[in-house]
Amino acid sequence: MQFDGTFELDGTTREEVWLALSDPVLVRNALPGCEFLLEVDDESPDFDELRERAAETDDEEISMDPDVIAERSFEEGSHYAALMELGVGSVKPSFETVVTIAERDFPDTVATGEGDASNSSFEMESSMHLAETDDGVGVEWATQADVFGRIAQMGQRVINPVANRVVKRFFQRVQSQLDDFGAEEPETAADASTDPEAGLTGKIRDRMGI
Amino acid sequence: MSTETGETETNEVETSESSEVALEDVFGSAIERREDPALITGEAEYTDDIQRPNMAHMAVLRSQYGHAKIEDIDTSAAEAMDGVIAVYTATDIEEAGTPGDLPVGWLLPSLKTPSHPILAGDRVRYQGDGVAVVVAEERYLAQDALDAIDVEYDRLDAVVDPKEAVEDDAPAIHEWSEDPTDTETEDDGEAEEVPPNVAFDWEIGDADATDDAFANAAHTVDIDLTNQRLIPNAMEPRATVAEYLPGTEELEVHMTSQNPHLHRQLMAAVLDVPEHKLHVVAPEVGGGFGSKIHHYPDEALTAWCARELERPIKWTATRTETYLTDAHGRDHRTHAELAMDEEGTVTGMRVDTYAGMGAYLSTFAPSIPTYLYGTLLSGQYDIPAIHCQVTGAFTNGAPVDAYRGAGRPEALYVVERLMNLGAKEVGMDPAEFRRHNFIPSDDFPHETPVAVVYDSGDYEPALDKALDMLDYDELRERQEELREEGRYLGIGFSSYIEACGLAPSELAGQLGAQAGLWESGVVRVHPSGKVTAFCGTSGHGQGHETTFAQIVSRELGVPYEDIEIVEGDTDEIPQGMGTYGSRSAAVGGSAIATSSQKVVEKARKIAAHQLEAAEDDLEFEGGEFSVSGAPDRAMTIQEVAQQAYLAHDVPDDLEPGLEETSFFDPENFVFPFGTHAAVVEVDPESGEISFERYAAVDDVGNQINPKIVEGQVHGGIAQGVGQALYEGAEYDSNGSLMTGSMQDYAVPKAEHIPEMDTDSTVTPAPQNPLGVKGVGEAGTIAAPQAVVNAVCDALEPFDVDHIDMPITPEKIWNAAENDDSQEEI
Repeated sequence: MQFDGTFELDGTTREEVWLALSDPVLVRNALPGCEFLLEVDDESPDFDELRERAAETDDEEISMDPDVIAERSFEEGSHYAALMELGVGSVKPSFETVVTIAERDFPDTVATGEGDASNSSFEMESSMHLAETDDGVGVEWATQADVFGRIAQMGQRVINPVANRVVKRFFQRVQSQLDDFGAEEPETAADASTDPEAGLTGKIRDRMGI
Repeated sequence: MSTETGETETNEVETSESSEVALEDVFGSAIERREDPALITGEAEYTDDIQRPNMAHMAVLRSQYGHAKIEDIDTSAAEAMDGVIAVYTATDIEEAGTPGDLPVGWLLPSLKTPSHPILAGDRVRYQGDGVAVVVAEERYLAQDALDAIDVEYDRLDAVVDPKEAVEDDAPAIHEWSEDPTDTETEDDGEAEEVPPNVAFDWEIGDADATDDAFANAAHTVDIDLTNQRLIPNAMEPRATVAEYLPGTEELEVHMTSQNPHLHRQLMAAVLDVPEHKLHVVAPEVGGGFGSKIHHYPDEALTAWCARELERPIKWTATRTETYLTDAHGRDHRTHAELAMDEEGTVTGMRVDTYAGMGAYLSTFAPSIPTYLYGTLLSGQYDIPAIHCQVTGAFTNGAPVDAYRGAGRPEALYVVERLMNLGAKEVGMDPAEFRRHNFIPSDDFPHETPVAVVYDSGDYEPALDKALDMLDYDELRERQEELREEGRYLGIGFSSYIEACGLAPSELAGQLGAQAGLWESGVVRVHPSGKVTAFCGTSGHGQGHETTFAQIVSRELGVPYEDIEIVEGDTDEIPQGMGTYGSRSAAVGGSAIATSSQKVVEKARKIAAHQLEAAEDDLEFEGGEFSVSGAPDRAMTIQEVAQQAYLAHDVPDDLEPGLEETSFFDPENFVFPFGTHAAVVEVDPESGEISFERYAAVDDVGNQINPKIVEGQVHGGIAQGVGQALYEGAEYDSNGSLMTGSMQDYAVPKAEHIPEMDTDSTVTPAPQNPLGVKGVGEAGTIAAPQAVVNAVCDALEPFDVDHIDMPITPEKIWNAAENDDSQEEI
């Protein structure tokens, strides 16, 4: 099934959004039902080990410091494992999900993923494009997903609202994180809007290799 | 017996209590169903009601994929759970030395019969294919433990459309050994490639004669249509309670079955249990519609677990499990053509059908789109040449098998859609076009070009009755007037034929059946004169306890209340073929009628002996033997029964007792027919359809109980309307069932079903002692095309030739929007 949409993030820049969405810590916090999001070596990690690793690892601070994020940023070709709990209709499966960053080229990202829960699973390919708008940034996203098992039986009628809810909450949280940092560093943001190479924007471009 | 009531009011049949009905009127009266009080008060025992001490519960882990390789199954976490008794996979079945492979009960010359294991080993082929079972102390624990089984799949591409499935690039669902097709030609050494998903290629009729008919035709029409996949929806899901008794080595299986003897025979082979040690019982069964004929994996698995663990085990399907695994119905893609001469006389019909079989061949699956389909394509019409080609295709869906109507709705849908298009092509009224092409009433027996002989028929009176009920001419005028106002009324006809009570066994055998199609009946008159009749049919809602008692009452002259009917138990009934294909009255009813007649003959000998009269001098009427001309010298059959068991004074060459058995094997099918007419109003703006009228005239021969006939017609029409407007099983391209529950699969509700006016004509069946045909499937066979023809008639001003079922408001809206389009929607 196909899902797509555009989410408007106001009062921000493409670079800031790129920075935010490059941060696994921010993404983990913003994703509803995400218990952990960890980089892994291959596409078939041992989730029991990952659960232990996630439990032992202290939560890293959310940051908008390009230096910090550059260290832990998503990288093209790398794999990430996530445990995602999703309420769909009457069931609430926990998906052991592995995502591969297939393409990462500002302002475009393509990721593929597979998730498995007891008796349900999905396969997906998602793309995201950051477009400048009058008020900020439009995140144009699209997902082609195949769902299987118990969840598939519920039909698109049930799945569509769930997918839309997840996407909406995710970007709302991204927006509020951006707002928080925007409030802390107003002058930098102001600089960014006047001179793309100065201030935070410049730093982001520099550190994030844009 | 015929309900000769008024023509315009709703002529609903009134029931009577049996005590109000005189003995000689019992047969043919609308006696209240005696089974209903137990059924509606909860007293009746269904399989899931059965409890046994120390009973455990089984649940089945099913493939979430439509098509995948199984790389690994790890059951250890499930096995470690508290309350879990055992977890089994295909490996365990194999290690126990159990054959575990489900047989196919109908073979065709070109048929490929893939292995159908009761648990999938290395590959799953449809969503719902069983992968493992858990046996646990509690039902919910067993379900929970399924989640702890870790199956590693390697997903494969799937194909779900029967036409796409046989294309060269479709993913192969089964791997065939060395030379799967056996079609290598001798001369050029070039193997004729049969695509891997072709289950069979089958044809009937004369291709050359049909080609000639089309070459010489003045008019032709053609249509591409889909007869969509349907899900059966019996109220009671499938269930099994199995118990193994180590002391006697007996395996007792209570299960939701339409044919317990057949299930015993098949299960004995699947599990390698001696047939005489396997006791199968069908307790009350809450509907089947065909879905409880077949031998599925789950019932065998329950029995296997019971034997393995030596504990009683219960399995009851969830509703979604029934949606995933009950054999579905229909699933045809058809191209059909009709040839006519200048006068609008049909001269030929050509039909090319792709029939979805699902992932495996269910028990009688190969017979449904072949012999139960192609042989009905002549409908009620005198058609000189017909040719039908059917390609059976494996797809990644649930197996497809008999579902109420089973092949015949698909055939009559093709015939009656073509007849509507043909009438339009030659500019005739659809009713008169049908009449023009009917087989004349003096042309019976009538041999069709598709290998059946209609033994009897008289089609015009049924059509006339339907036209009268509608006030047809006036209705057409009203249709015109309403069109002026922008309202769209449509009238649709369905003049259908049905072939049911499939027989004789010899013919069935020639056609590929791996079973006979006779029926057994035992009539036991007890010393007190009360009667128990045992029949090999196995009712599951049809009212046999009432109607069969009516038969016995008439034959023996014994009060209806004194007769008990027993079905559904392999230990009580000698043998039986079961209840399906509208066969119970015509075949089973005839068996107990025949046994009753044998009882009367034996009783006559005893009575003649005791009355000191010649047998020929005895009259038998109203349950009493009397000497002709000396009515005082008489004995009731009850008195004879007492004497038969006392055996103090019976003829020397006669054994004591009064009990007879028959195995009735009819000489032919029976051929019910009739005309249904739907009147609908269609709103092209909203796409909504509302029924104005639904008139059904059915000829099912003599009616044993008109109320039960009426109920069967009502239920059948409801299911037919469901197919026409609401129902449809949908798989996505990966083989995931998108309609996995009643939330997404629209079973019609009461508000969706029209008021029905039913009436009948009576042309007794000549081939059985009761003159009865069958009525169980008539409505389902007749209704879909009546509704579709009505909708297409309503949309005639929009130049709509065809809309595929289910006709949703969206399809109507699109069809009306695409005015001028000649395309099918």
